[in-house]
This record gives sequence, C-alpha cells and structure tokens, in this order.
Amino acid sequence: MYISIDWIKDYVELPDLPPEELAVRFTMATCEVEEVKTTGELQEKVRIVEVTGIEDHPDSDHLHLVKFTDGKDSREVVCGAPNVVIGEKVPYAPLGTTFAEGFTLVPKKIRGVMSEGMLCSETELEIGDDDSGLKIFPEDTPLGISIAEYLGEKGDILFDIDNKSITHRPDLWGHYGMAREFAAVFHKELKNPFGPEWEKKVQSWFSNENPPVTIEVEKDSANLGFKGLSMDNITIKSSPKWMQDRLTACGMRPINNIVDISNYVMLELGIPNHIFDRETNRGGKIIVKRAGENMKFTTLDEVERDMIPSDTMVCDAEGPASIAGIMGGLHSGIADTTSRIFLEAANWVDAEVRRTSTRLGLRTDALQRYEKSLDSQMLEKTLYRLVELIKESCPEAAVVGGIVEDNMPEYTPLVITISAGRVCQVLGKDIPQAEVVRILESLDFAIAQDEDSLTVTVPSYRSTKDIECEADIIEEIGRIIGYDNITPASPMNAITAVRLSEALQMSRKIKDYMVYSGKSLEIMTYPMVGEKLLDKAFWPEKNEKLVLLNAMSPESDRMRPSMIPSMLNTASLNQKTWSSFRMFEMGRVYRQDEKEFSKERYQLAVVFYDKKKSPFLQVSDTIEGLMNSLNLPYRIITGYNKQNPLLPEKWPGRHPSDYLDIQVMGRSCGFITSVHPLVCRRFKIKGQLVMAILDLTDFQDKKMKDKTRYKPLAKFPSSTFDCTVVAESRTPVEDVVKAMGRMKMKELDWVKIVDVFQLSDDQKTITVRTSFSDPDKTLSGDFIREAEDKVVETLKKAGFPLKMS
Amino acid sequence: MKQNLEDLKNEFAHALETVKNRSELVNLKADFLGKKGKLNSILKSLKDASPEVKKSLGMKSNQLKEAVLAGVEKKMTHLELSEINEGLMKNWQDVSFRGSVRDNGLSAVGYHPVSIIQREIEDIFLSMGFEILDGPHIEDDYHNFEALNIPDTHPARDMQDTFWFSDMQHLLRTHTSCIQARGMETRKPPFKFIGPGKVFRCEATDASHEAAFHQLEGMMVGKDISVANLIYFMKTLLSEIFQKEVNVRLRPGFFPFVEPGFELDIECLICGGKGCSVCKQSGWVELLPCGMVHPNVLKSGGVDPEEYNGFAFGLGLDRLVMMRYGIDDIRHLHSGNLSFVSQFKAY
Repeated sequence: MYISIDWIKDYVELPDLPPEELAVRFTMATCEVEEVKTTGELQEKVRIVEVTGIEDHPDSDHLHLVKFTDGKDSREVVCGAPNVVIGEKVPYAPLGTTFAEGFTLVPKKIRGVMSEGMLCSETELEIGDDDSGLKIFPEDTPLGISIAEYLGEKGDILFDIDNKSITHRPDLWGHYGMAREFAAVFHKELKNPFGPEWEKKVQSWFSNENPPVTIEVEKDSANLGFKGLSMDNITIKSSPKWMQDRLTACGMRPINNIVDISNYVMLELGIPNHIFDRETNRGGKIIVKRAGENMKFTTLDEVERDMIPSDTMVCDAEGPASIAGIMGGLHSGIADTTSRIFLEAANWVDAEVRRTSTRLGLRTDALQRYEKSLDSQMLEKTLYRLVELIKESCPEAAVVGGIVEDNMPEYTPLVITISAGRVCQVLGKDIPQAEVVRILESLDFAIAQDEDSLTVTVPSYRSTKDIECEADIIEEIGRIIGYDNITPASPMNAITAVRLSEALQMSRKIKDYMVYSGKSLEIMTYPMVGEKLLDKAFWPEKNEKLVLLNAMSPESDRMRPSMIPSMLNTASLNQKTWSSFRMFEMGRVYRQDEKEFSKERYQLAVVFYDKKKSPFLQVSDTIEGLMNSLNLPYRIITGYNKQNPLLPEKWPGRHPSDYLDIQVMGRSCGFITSVHPLVCRRFKIKGQLVMAILDLTDFQDKKMKDKTRYKPLAKFPSSTFDCTVVAESRTPVEDVVKAMGRMKMKELDWVKIVDVFQLSDDQKTITVRTSFSDPDKTLSGDFIREAEDKVVETLKKAGFPLKMS
Repeated sequence: MKQNLEDLKNEFAHALETVKNRSELVNLKADFLGKKGKLNSILKSLKDASPEVKKSLGMKSNQLKEAVLAGVEKKMTHLELSEINEGLMKNWQDVSFRGSVRDNGLSAVGYHPVSIIQREIEDIFLSMGFEILDGPHIEDDYHNFEALNIPDTHPARDMQDTFWFSDMQHLLRTHTSCIQARGMETRKPPFKFIGPGKVFRCEATDASHEAAFHQLEGMMVGKDISVANLIYFMKTLLSEIFQKEVNVRLRPGFFPFVEPGFELDIECLICGGKGCSVCKQSGWVELLPCGMVHPNVLKSGGVDPEEYNGFAFGLGLDRLVMMRYGIDDIRHLHSGNLSFVSQFKAY
C-alpha cells in the first residue's frame, strides 16, 4: 500500500529529515516501509530556457552546439534534436538530473565538445509521448521556472508499506491512521480536523425531509452496522487535480468526482464505502441479508457470480445490489447523468466476507480492509467526510434528510489495567511512568493512574482485534521507545544439565556410521509421493486416508507409506550418472491409523548400487556393523521365508535368495534385499541394486546403556585349529558356524570361516578356524589334539566331512 | 708393532668398502678376526714383548677388534637391507593409484547439507542448555493453530497456505511452532528447548520456494524474562552461528503467537552495514521472526502467564544452508540427486 507523505502532512508536521531516514524510523516503530519513492523530482530540476544560438558541431553532421539562457546565465550543450530553433523555449536538464531509467547527467564531452547538461523531449520528462524532438513551450512561458512550476505539479514522497506488516492493524489502512503513528513516532502533534465543530458543520446540511431510502439489516447476516445518507443535485464531473494526484499516487485511477471521493475517503479514513445512483434502487429500501439458494449476481466487473446461502448481500426491495464488503453490482454504479445518490458506510464480519471473497477469487480494496476487522464506530465519521467532500465538489448538492442506520452495535470501550513496573520488566528497560503515559496518550489511549497501576482505555479502532491484553499495550510502549534503545542483557537462568534425547543420539549415531563406516552419501527425498510411483513400485498400500486435499501435483499428493518407492526412483535417477554409489536417508514414513489418524515411523533406507558386481555383502557388512554399534540385541536371519511387516505381501521386489531379515528382540524390524530385476527393469535400472530398510522407531527411546565390561587379559596363549570340510554348493557357510554351536566345550572361544573354495558345480570346501584357550592354564598338547578331533567329529555329524587331500 | 695395528685398521676399512655381498663379508671377518686371521698373527708375534708393551698393545688390539666387529655388523645390515629391497622392488606396486585417481563410481561420502547445519546449530543450543525436541509432521488443527493463538477466523490462517487432509482436522505442520505447543505440555517452567524439523507449505515451488523445507523453533520460558534478554540471546546465538560478531535489531512484526512480536534483522554480513546489493542498500537483512511468548500460548501450554513469561523465535534452516554454501536452488535439497549432495563431502 502506498502512503503519500504529502497527504500525511495535512495532519502532522514531520521533522526535517531525509525521506529514507523517516522510512527507517517508521519501519523500526510501526510497520515495514519496503521502498521510498520520490515523484516529481525530475520536473523540479528541469527548467525552461530560451535558445539563443545554434552552431554546427565541428565533428558531427547531425549534432549542434546550442547556446541558451534561463534569463540570468547562459550555457551551452551538445544537442541532436532536429527541431531546435533560435528563440524557442525548451526544457533544460542541468548536470545532476536523474532520469526515469536511472541515469544521472554528469559533465561529459560529446565528440570532443563539453556539454553542460541536456535539452529534453516530452518522453524524457515523463510528461507526454512525443519523442520526435525537444518539447517546445509557448512563447509567453516565463524563463527559468521549473517544469513542475509550469505544470502546477508538486512532488511527493511515497512510502510503499508491506501489507503483511499491517494485517493486524485495521487503523493503518488509511492516511489518517498512519498520520497518528507518524505523530507518535516523531513526537509531533496530530491535527484533528474531524472534531465536534466539524461534525456540527456537516450536520447543519441535513434536512428534515423523510429519507428516501431506509435500511433494514437481517440479524443473521454478516453485518456489524450499516449507515447511509441520500444526496440530491449532484453534478458528475472530474475531481480536482490535487485529489486526482493523490489517488494516482496511491495507485487508484481517477474516474469522476463521486467515485473519486468515495475512494479518497477510503484511503483517508481506512473505511470502505459505497455510493450508488438512487435511480437504480428499487423500492426505496436497502435490505441486508444472506443470499438465497441459487442466486446469481453480476458484479461491477461484468462477471456473473454464483452466490451461496452463507454469503451476505446488500439488496434493494427486489434483489441484490452488491456483495457485502466486496463489490457492487454492474448496474448500480455512478453514471455521467447521475444526480441523486445514496452514500453507504457499513461494517462486516471479517472472516465471513473473507470466506466469500476467497471462494469467488475476488479481492478488492474494500475486502482487503474489511478482513482486518474494522471499527463500526468509524462509520458515521466516514459518511460525514463523504458529505463534506461532495459539498466541496458540488456546492449545490443537498442532503435529503439525515443519516439512516440499522444494526449499529452497542459500544463499550475496552479497558485494560497494566502495571508500569511490569512494562519495565518485560521490556528490560527502566521507563519513567510519565513517559509510559505520554506514549499511550500520543496513540489516543486514555489513561487513569493509580500509583503503579494504569487503567488504559483503548480507542475503538484499536480494540476490534489488535489490542486485547497487557502484552499488547507493552508492545505499544516498546515500539515507540524503540527496541534499539533497550540494552541487551543476559537472562538469569538456573543451571540445568541437558543431553541429547535417546532418539536423537541414535539418529546421529546411525548417520555417523553410515557416513564414516558405510561410506555413503546422505540424501533427502520428498515425504510426499504420488499414486503413479507407488504403482510403479508394485506398492499396494496407497495411503488413501493420507491424501492431501490441496496437493501441488498428483506426483506428491499423499504421504509416503514406505521409503522404498522414493529410493527406487532416486536410484533410477542417479544410475544414469554414476557407475556405482552408496546412499542413505533417515526419513519418515506415514501410516494411516484408525485411532490416531496417522502414525509416523522413523526409518533408515540404504541403497548401494553397482553397475556390475552385486554390493549385497557390502550392505550386509554395513548393516551388521551398524547394529553392533547400536547396542541392541539383534539377529540377522538367512533363509527367512516369512513375511516382513515393512514389505507388502509377496512384493515382487524382494529377491528369492539375496535376502536377510533383521530382527530386534524377536521382531522383524528391517531387511536387506537385492532388488529384483523385474522391479529394476520397471525403474530402468541397469545393474545391481541392493536395498536395506531399518525401522528402529520402537527402540529409539530406550536408553542406550553401555554394557561393555572389562575382562582381564588372557594370561595363557590360545591355540587355533584350521580344518577344511566339504559342503554342498548352496549351503550357507553360516550353517557350519551354527553346527559348531553344538560342540559344547568351555575352552572353545570362537569359530570363523577362513576360506571358501568351489570344488565343482555342486560342491565346495569350507575352511573352518576354531580357537581354544583356558584362562587358568596353557592347554596341553593332548587336550588340543582331543579338541581338534572333536571339531572334525562335530562337523562330520552335521554333514560336513573333512576334505581328503 | 703399533704401526702394524694401525695399518691393519686401514686395511680393514679399505677392504670393507669393496665387499659386495654377505659371503665376502663373512670371509673378510674371518680374514681379520679368525683364529688364523691377521690380528691373531700380530698378537702371536707379541709373545715375547714386555708386560708394559703387551698391556698397551692389548688395549689397542681390543679396540681394533671391536671396530672390525662394528664395521662388519653395520655392513651386514646394509647388505641385508639392499638384498631385501631388491626383492621388494620385484613386487613393486603403483602407490599413486589412489582413491582420488581411481574411478570407483561415486566415492564421495558425507551428510546432507541440511543435516550439517542442523547439527551444528543443535550443538550450539545444546551448549547453552537447550533441549532438542521434535514432533509429528502430520499435526492436528489444535497444535498447529489453536494452541498458538491462531483461532479459526484469524487472518494468519490465510497467510499460511496449509496442506490439509480430507478430514479437515489434520494437516501437515506449517511451522515448527507446533513443537513449542507440544513441548510446553510436557514441561514445567523454567525450560528452554528448540525444535528443528521439516515443515510444509502449499506454495508454488521455484528456486527459493519449496513445499517441504526446514525450520528451527526455539523457546525459553522462566521468570522475569525480558526483551533485553531476547536481544542479548539472539546476538550471542547468531554470532556463534555466523562465527563472527553479529549486530541485530528488532522491529515490530506481527505473529499471533508472540506479543510483542518482532522481525529480527542482522547487520548485513556482506557489506558490514554500509549498504550493498544483498541488503538492498539498507545495511540490514531480515533474518527471523521472534517475540515474547503470547500469554494465550503460555496458557494453552499449561504455563501461568502471571508467573512466567518467555521468548520464542523461528529460524529458516534452508536459508542458512543456502547462504553458507551459496546454493542457488532450494529444490536441490529434496532432489536425492547425488551430484548435488556429493559436493558436501565429509572426507
């Protein structure tokens, strides 16, 4: 929204500061000035001069050296205009002038000749469209005056206010309200041209006639008060230049005196109003009511709109005339022939008119103000101001009767009691009580003091929503004092020990492990997915209940039920660029839930890819190491044929043999699988893709106890024994280790596989290493031989005969 | 005699130099120190010398013996080393074929840039005694709006374009302030915590707007907390985050959950406040919203606003990430594109 400083100066004298400085101080105290625009600067700088001599440029066939005078001094410029003639009056822009495109005239040689500025065309001066040559002024134009003087323009400074910074301040949507802020911020007095004298003057124009239009407001409507007034003898014409200039400066197009006055008063007092031709009113009545069923209404902008029963309409005896608080109807506007008018000022329930506006996609200047919660107490003043300006424009105009109204609310001022001590405490600054009172009074609050306690009466236009409690009053004082004037001070806090939550510790540990040991890159993918991707990944769970009402696109219209489809998609994208990669994401998946609507699970997804060689064992080594680091009792199960709850039943992506199930405390909470070629093909993945999912949500809040216990170092040497046995090709080597578990011998420390060698298509050899020790003595040769025999025996019994060399 | 010993010493030194392998060295040793060696033959000729001469020459000859032994041992080590090295050179490997030279596919490893910054900031808060909390992404109307003093009809609900689920009761949290609401419910003042996490807005996406992004909410509640405390705290925090002295200023800003509410600006880090294109010549850059917690919010969280008050603030994590690394497009963050994340290497 644009604020004209020229307009503000009608009500308050501003300090003599550069506009930018005013803007910064206003931003620091009231609302954000996004930009300061100065208008008319160019026209102020450029003066009217008379050409006194023309010579050809020594080094050019179309440039001239033009001599001219402003009545006092003579100067010379280089000029290329074709229409330069001795004796003509033309505009001269001296050095230092800045033009619309942003360039500033500096002393400059043009083809070797010094030019002291520039003679201008209409377009360069922004006063017309003619750019064929110099602007020529009439012979009788006085020399030396500025273009602004010639045109009778005066410059203005415009503040572009960020609308978002005044959503809570309905009083700032008009210049008078803004002027009140300027007065408070700069410690100046606010002029009040709208006092009792003024009211009396306007009332003196009222007559005793019966008002030709009456108002009827139905109680269930969105209305918060409705006032109106009839006037006759109106002449439609142009509004005065000063008014047109202000409207233009604020971004409104001047139309005619009546429409312009309506807009002007809205920009001045912040209250939208509506003036219509009384000839269009049927039945001498205004009825405010809810729209009926199937109501269609054509607005001023010639669009037919479907109204619904919850919309509020302003109607006459026969039908709707405008949409309450938003826009008038096509046929009730002011025409050139209008002479009898009705002025209305009404107030509406913010949320209701906003709802209608949002539904219709119709935002207007009026709505923009109503949705901020306007003050019904301002309606009368608004009407008075309209009448005053109309009388100024059409002195012959007459008020018919006086004000008619309905549904005006009873008004009780909002009173808040605050403590001056509390103000100082919350702001963290000692502020004399007298200063607190002065600030509040400058903002039109009324104060009654009782020692430290202040009883504050809030002005009606601040109490519609903005000011509610003590904290709101404290803000008023803080911002006028200036937050810059508060000295920073450390809070005084009791000492407390904090540590990362268990869940966060676990999450960090997982990420650390995946980066430094899993040698992977962490990625993030969208928590929302689309049905198409789920289908592509053969994912039957579509999370229908977690579909967004207002999704940005079908590709991200629901919360993901699993990380797998996102991971497949990402793998597909990346395998185009890289021949191998390792990546992981710690992310959430979302499950619909009958009782709690939804449940969120925090999961780790790991994806290793290699164009040629399956990275399965790298993934399983990584996951095994990770599980070890988490101090959770886990098992990794080979040959698991049962359902894993993280996967859909019979999910085709699960590999028939490259699969390990991960269980914690007997519960499946993860798996590792090579992704089935069928699924890879769907995602156009060429190569070997291995994926692991780990869901530790159920364990993340458990305290990760460090269960490490020190054991005294072995005093006696241990003895290892290797033997090579024969097994079938597809026997998991793990079975050999398991088989050794049956050999109960306290001296046996561990069993590991040293080597595997493929003998033939269906046979392989496995070299097993066992280690024996006794904490109390060195093992004897006899014992060791016995133990070795036992190992061979145990393996043989389990179906792994010793390999005969 | 003395001269003989001296000559012998020189002879040995000379001979040692010409030795080429271990067997020559063994022979050389025998030649000098063996039973029939040169030293012995000199000593034998001493049989009839006076005790004084014997004594002095005996000492000398012992010294010579030790010198020979030491020379031999030194030479032996040297020869052994050359021999082993010869063997080693047969097994030469190209040590320049390192990870940085080899094509291993994608070998970079590291954290997502949001994780990096988030952890860095979490650790700063942790060092100042703040707990770190999180909450659900799918929130209810109450925690996202009502508990934060944003009732049904409040214009603030228009300002935030919310993703709703079809029951119109649940939504994707539009800010991490819900973590505030939930954090208060389970704590007794005084307390201080932050809540970093993903938030969602139904906005058209472009290089600087995403439908899913990251915020960090912070809150401190206690007795007699003031705006002066808030300014001090933010200055300390931001100086730590940006690793240099940061100047801050507060100006009025409207957020329903704080009162007074502020927009916090920092003095432009690029130009130091002189004015540049980044700060649009103003010397200040808008960084974050903050304010004193609204009494209604405290009440919703079960805190008595007559007894306690506090401040709260919100930080856009993605913006910090983008500032730190000079990232030009916010959409890279959730893209899963390894060409992007591989730039943020841990090692």
